[in-house]
Amino acid sequence: MITQYIFYFFAALLIIAAGMVVTVRNPVHAALFLVLAFFSTSAVWLMLEAEFLAIVLILVYVGAVMVLFLFVVMMLDINLVPMREGFARFLPVGIIIALLMAIAMGSVFTAIYFNGAHLDVVTPTATDVNNSRELGKLLFTEYLYPFEIAGAILLVAIVAAISLTLRTGRSKKTQDPSAQVSVKRADRVRMVKMKSEKKSG
Amino acid sequence: MQELSLRMLENYLPILIFISITLVMGMGFFIVGYVLGPSKPDSEKMSPYECGFEAFEDARMKFDIRYYLVAILFIIFDLEIAFFFPWAVALREVGMVGFWAMMLFLGVLVIGFIYEWRKGALEWE
Amino acid sequence: MLSDIFQWIQGSILSPLVNLVVPELFQDEALLLLGILVKIVAILIPLLLSVAYITYAERKIIGYMQCRIGPNRVGFFGYKLLGLGQPIADAFKLIFKEIIIPSGANKTLFIIAPVLSFAPSIAAWAVIPFDDVSVLADINAGLLYILALTSLAVYGVIIAGWASNSKYAFLGAIRSAAQIISYEIAMGFALVCVLIAAGSLNLGEIIEAQSGSFLHWFWIPLFPVFLVYFISGVAETNRAPFDVAEGESEIVAGFHVEYGGMAFSIFFMAEYANMIMISVLTSIFFLGGWLSPLQGVPLLGSIPFLSDHGLIWLLMKTSLFLFCFLWFRATFPRYRYDQIMRLGWKVFLPITIVWIVIISIMVVAEIPPWFN
Repeated sequence: MITQYIFYFFAALLIIAAGMVVTVRNPVHAALFLVLAFFSTSAVWLMLEAEFLAIVLILVYVGAVMVLFLFVVMMLDINLVPMREGFARFLPVGIIIALLMAIAMGSVFTAIYFNGAHLDVVTPTATDVNNSRELGKLLFTEYLYPFEIAGAILLVAIVAAISLTLRTGRSKKTQDPSAQVSVKRADRVRMVKMKSEKKSG
Repeated sequence: MQELSLRMLENYLPILIFISITLVMGMGFFIVGYVLGPSKPDSEKMSPYECGFEAFEDARMKFDIRYYLVAILFIIFDLEIAFFFPWAVALREVGMVGFWAMMLFLGVLVIGFIYEWRKGALEWE
Repeated sequence: MLSDIFQWIQGSILSPLVNLVVPELFQDEALLLLGILVKIVAILIPLLLSVAYITYAERKIIGYMQCRIGPNRVGFFGYKLLGLGQPIADAFKLIFKEIIIPSGANKTLFIIAPVLSFAPSIAAWAVIPFDDVSVLADINAGLLYILALTSLAVYGVIIAGWASNSKYAFLGAIRSAAQIISYEIAMGFALVCVLIAAGSLNLGEIIEAQSGSFLHWFWIPLFPVFLVYFISGVAETNRAPFDVAEGESEIVAGFHVEYGGMAFSIFFMAEYANMIMISVLTSIFFLGGWLSPLQGVPLLGSIPFLSDHGLIWLLMKTSLFLFCFLWFRATFPRYRYDQIMRLGWKVFLPITIVWIVIISIMVVAEIPPWFN
């Protein structure tokens, strides 16, 4: 009983937050509503006993992806007038894309692969299974190959991110901290012993 | 199914309550301060701090692209960490196959890291 | 011990109360809920008191390190008591200060920001085991939960900096956000090492995996990671010597420059709660949490009281690390920003990656005495 109330609460929160993401004017507010949406999703996943995935959703999406979003969005000028100027021009394209997405999402309910019939009914064992350990066992036996592919994709992502953002060839005034850190006293200071030159007069 | 959801609930209900209480507490502190503190605004006091100058432009400005690069690299490494977690927990069960699979994954990650390093993506000036 | 007290409270206060007030149908739920609330209060009150008194300890300790005596005037009932009343007086002062919301600020976000930095720093305490049975939520993914919550700390900073609409706040926020996420990587990899060594995400089981004697604790097989984790923790909480985010001399106070009174003190409480959090976590992951250091020691281990495990050991280990936080602040000059980024990415990250390989080989090869 209680579980149902909690589910409906978070489901409603998720829908409201998702709605706000697209309707709110201020992009920073929109990004924060997206964070709220992720939180509610995570709560719903938790109720499906996807403990590991739920927390990783927060760790990766809220903790990392949305931080980048915020970085980008915060730098934008929030001068909204020029942003809305081309609205009428892009409207037809937007409608077509929205329609395509609606069809794609609708097909989930009808298509052969998505109707759920070929899926096993999830029957969790009554014992106290450790969600993350089971996931690990599966990932490193059955899904080993996709896992390695994921590693390769992440490598591509690193290379792409660097080649997109890093501008080389500009005049650099860098300090080399490792050289600075490894400086010894003997490199900089020379101790000189000499006699006092004070005249007796 | 119902009773299993209940088990999850038993584990996470305290956390849900705890998080709600901390949020309420944070707001509560703010409200207490707002209610009990004086409120005598004037235009000088409300203006943003700028070492005695008038603020002469909007504070939200463009900043170095390096910060974005750091954020992107952070996402990638965070994802890698997310992959490490189930492996670390199951290492004793998956045995040598799992071990070498992760070493391969880690090798690919290290290649990316070396690339970053050599490209100077980690340099700050 | 803690659980005995809780049982007593539940048995002789809560259940009669529930029997008296709540209708029969909901009595079980009400009892459960009240039990949770009692536990939460039992965590929150000592936590907030320690936050208040760490500020006192900080001023006192740094004072003595600099040959001053620190606060020594404010006491209770006319007795000075070494200035023990200082934090209380400070709290009252802050409550009665004006909260200024700058005219150019985004009001909603300006108010939400301190709450967002406060909530995760406190909420992480939900999974901390205080002894072998006392923990608010004994979840399987405890360590993951902690990591997820620490990754939220950056929101308070970014939002505060942006909402204030002040240059100093914005610069401080961007700097500090980049610093926090950089050190989170090192921290995450360090935690992976702990995880490999313990084989479990549950904090209680991580502690159990270290039992034996103080030589079985993870600080020996994970020594470099232990240092990396604690130093990253110092950087993550924006404490000296990694406090360029507030760097008084250049950007005045960083992201919370526009905050005053209670709004500022919420950030302050979050920072200190995070400090305690990092200290507790370091002692749990590397120094065996509530395990007694005398366990397994030939002669001393048989003394009945000293060799018992319990909260007292966790508190002592935590205090040790908290003292280090204050000690660092009194000792080290502030790092330059490029040095901070270099330390995080070019020193800590490689160390942890190498150590992941080493520790997993040790686990696979079942090296005694830790992994047999």
